[in-house]
Amino acid sequence: MEAPPVTMMPVTGGTINMMEYLLQGKAGGQRGAGGGWGAAELCVSGTGSVLDQSLESLLHRLRGLCDNMEPETFLDHEMVFLLKGQQASPFVLRARRSMDKAAVPWHLRYLGQPEVGDKNRHALVRNCVDIATSDNLTDFLVEMGFRMDHEFVAKGHVFRKGIMKIVVYKIFRILMPGNTESIEPLSLSYLVELNVVAPAGQDVVSDDMRNFAEQLKPLVHLEKIDPKRLM
Amino acid sequence: MADGVLSPGVNLEAFSQAIAAIQALRSSVTRVFDCLKDGMRNKETLEGREKGFVAAFQESLHSVSRDLGELERLSNLVGKPSENHPLHNSGLLSLDPVQDKTPLYSQLLQAYKWSNKLQYHAGLASGLLNQQSLKRSANQMGVSAKRRPKAQPTTLVLPPQAGLVATPELPILPHDSLREGSEKRIKDLFLLLRYVDDVINRIDRMFPEMSIQLSRPNGTSAMLLVTLGKVLKVIVVMRSLFIDRTIVKGYNENVYTDDGKLDIWSKSNYQVFQKVTDHATTALLHYQLPQMPDVVVRSFMTWLRSYIKLFQAPCQRCGKFLQDGLPPTWRDFRTLEAFHDTCRQ
Amino acid sequence: MLSKKLELLGAEKHGAFGVDCETYHTAAAISSQGQTGKLMYVMHNSEYPLSCFALFENGPCLIADANFDTLMVKLKGFFQNAKANKIESRGTRYQYCDFLVKVGTVTMGPSARGISVEVEYCPCVIANDCWNLLMEFMQSFMGSHTPSIPSVFGTKHDSIYSPADTMVQYMELFNKIRKQQQVPVAGIR
Repeated sequence: MEAPPVTMMPVTGGTINMMEYLLQGKAGGQRGAGGGWGAAELCVSGTGSVLDQSLESLLHRLRGLCDNMEPETFLDHEMVFLLKGQQASPFVLRARRSMDKAAVPWHLRYLGQPEVGDKNRHALVRNCVDIATSDNLTDFLVEMGFRMDHEFVAKGHVFRKGIMKIVVYKIFRILMPGNTESIEPLSLSYLVELNVVAPAGQDVVSDDMRNFAEQLKPLVHLEKIDPKRLM
Repeated sequence: MADGVLSPGVNLEAFSQAIAAIQALRSSVTRVFDCLKDGMRNKETLEGREKGFVAAFQESLHSVSRDLGELERLSNLVGKPSENHPLHNSGLLSLDPVQDKTPLYSQLLQAYKWSNKLQYHAGLASGLLNQQSLKRSANQMGVSAKRRPKAQPTTLVLPPQAGLVATPELPILPHDSLREGSEKRIKDLFLLLRYVDDVINRIDRMFPEMSIQLSRPNGTSAMLLVTLGKVLKVIVVMRSLFIDRTIVKGYNENVYTDDGKLDIWSKSNYQVFQKVTDHATTALLHYQLPQMPDVVVRSFMTWLRSYIKLFQAPCQRCGKFLQDGLPPTWRDFRTLEAFHDTCRQ
Repeated sequence: MLSKKLELLGAEKHGAFGVDCETYHTAAAISSQGQTGKLMYVMHNSEYPLSCFALFENGPCLIADANFDTLMVKLKGFFQNAKANKIESRGTRYQYCDFLVKVGTVTMGPSARGISVEVEYCPCVIANDCWNLLMEFMQSFMGSHTPSIPSVFGTKHDSIYSPADTMVQYMELFNKIRKQQQVPVAGIR
């Protein structure tokens, strides 16, 4: 029997609301104008040479700060699906698959709207459901009535510190739809994200996140970003 | 004292004397210090005081050296206690008063008995095995027949295109042969390895539904992972071109250990494949032709290939699929027909 | 009666099992876009406790982890759970050599609707290869009730059998049971 995909995390079920806490930033350069481009709204501009330098030193810093593990690289293909109803806002699901590790199951992620009234929190907080699935996910979503909105390839490094996850990656545009071989970098800079998935109400983690972000300060400024502002 | 219990009847007296001597020595030493501590007592004259003190001090030192000498003499008599014990130092373990906490001694005895028994049985087994004439390789036959006068002990003749003589087991070179022509031997070894690869490759190409992966995790002996259709996987452990061991597992079973090596020890979880493993081992013993090992491997693989219809072929005798919940697991060595284990002639 | 026969054959009891199936209707909101009233089934199998199977009739079967249920709650604006249609089968697992037999009672709501029998021959990964063998085995304890070859086998040819195939068969069986009131026995690989 083929083993069905199983997540390593204990099953939390529907009773506990998992939340994602997020800080985003950029590696080097000033922030450019955000392109109206779905998930990858953080388009950052900067000169290439500076960026290469700062990437290396950022990775070096992260290696020192994070849990003692081999830094992992990833190469993911993400597709964003929309389900439009008669309501105003469409339902968004993100399907991600690893392009360099064949045995890993597909990853389906739902991200809710950012919680309102969290001015005093240091991170963006939103609802989140992570599901590992089999590889026929795209067919199934289409069958459910979803339509693909856009897709991209993300390539970069991932670090961990406790439950915090730090990803440093570059986004690539897919030139021909469906062909993940022909890709082109969207910008010359790397995106840095610090996120934590934790049960709802654990706002302490956002303090931890801010402290961690402080330590990266001269290299990268991680801050809470309101996606609405960039839309 | 414990030492006395240890060796009853041996020098018990010497022991008690020695103990007394130690006590005497201690008291005399104490006296020396007492005397030093007290210093010069009040006496009429200074001279008298000094004289008295020196005399007392001298006397006590004398008694110390006397006691010491006595003790030394006695200790020679006593000897080392452990030497008297048959189990040497381990015997002391039996004296451990807190036996419940550390059952070391009983474990030790158990282990000793066990290893004794093991040695005995191993001896019996090797005796029995030597009587059996089950010689599967030219190697063993060559050794038992007579030793060749030359340094090359036993040989496996390669087919003419290779045109060379190679030794089947080279990784452990005999010492005398190391001196002469070790270079040639290494060359032979590589030729042999290439030859094995060749034979396996040819077999691989012969059967399209069978894929063979060859690996050499431990030096020269090859291990094969044979995948037969989508039915089963077989791990074959080779020694040069002789098959040493086979294990049959299901197509969906894991054949690797946690660290990514081929798992040559654990058996299949399914009864069918355990049965097929047994039959395959029988087949190994059946197909033997010491002079042409490549033919042996080829015929073994041909036989193995007949399992492609393991679940599809009914028994040739009773016409049924199942017997005791198992499909026909036996394949005739000549006709390759399917039979139940109990239906075969 | 079935379990008695199985035990006579020498099968041993080996725990319990359960398969359940929930039905979701597409809400009016999206069915207006040409998605005419499709039914989606979300199923669980105790054999794969951390997984969740989502299927459409004659459509793809998605194997996901149990968080998929949480997602369906989020999606309730688009897909509505037909609570009354929840159907499940619970019973005993038997083991006989390499066969795994699961005999369960199918219940829908409060009422029992039938009996399901699942027979699995674990060593074989291609269903078509061992169908004859399975038939013989099933005849030995089910007699004339032995079912004919399931439709999934026809489309599978030589590909490897997966848990999703089992779930498709359960779905088909549950649908059949839902439509007609009494179904005696249905056989599954």
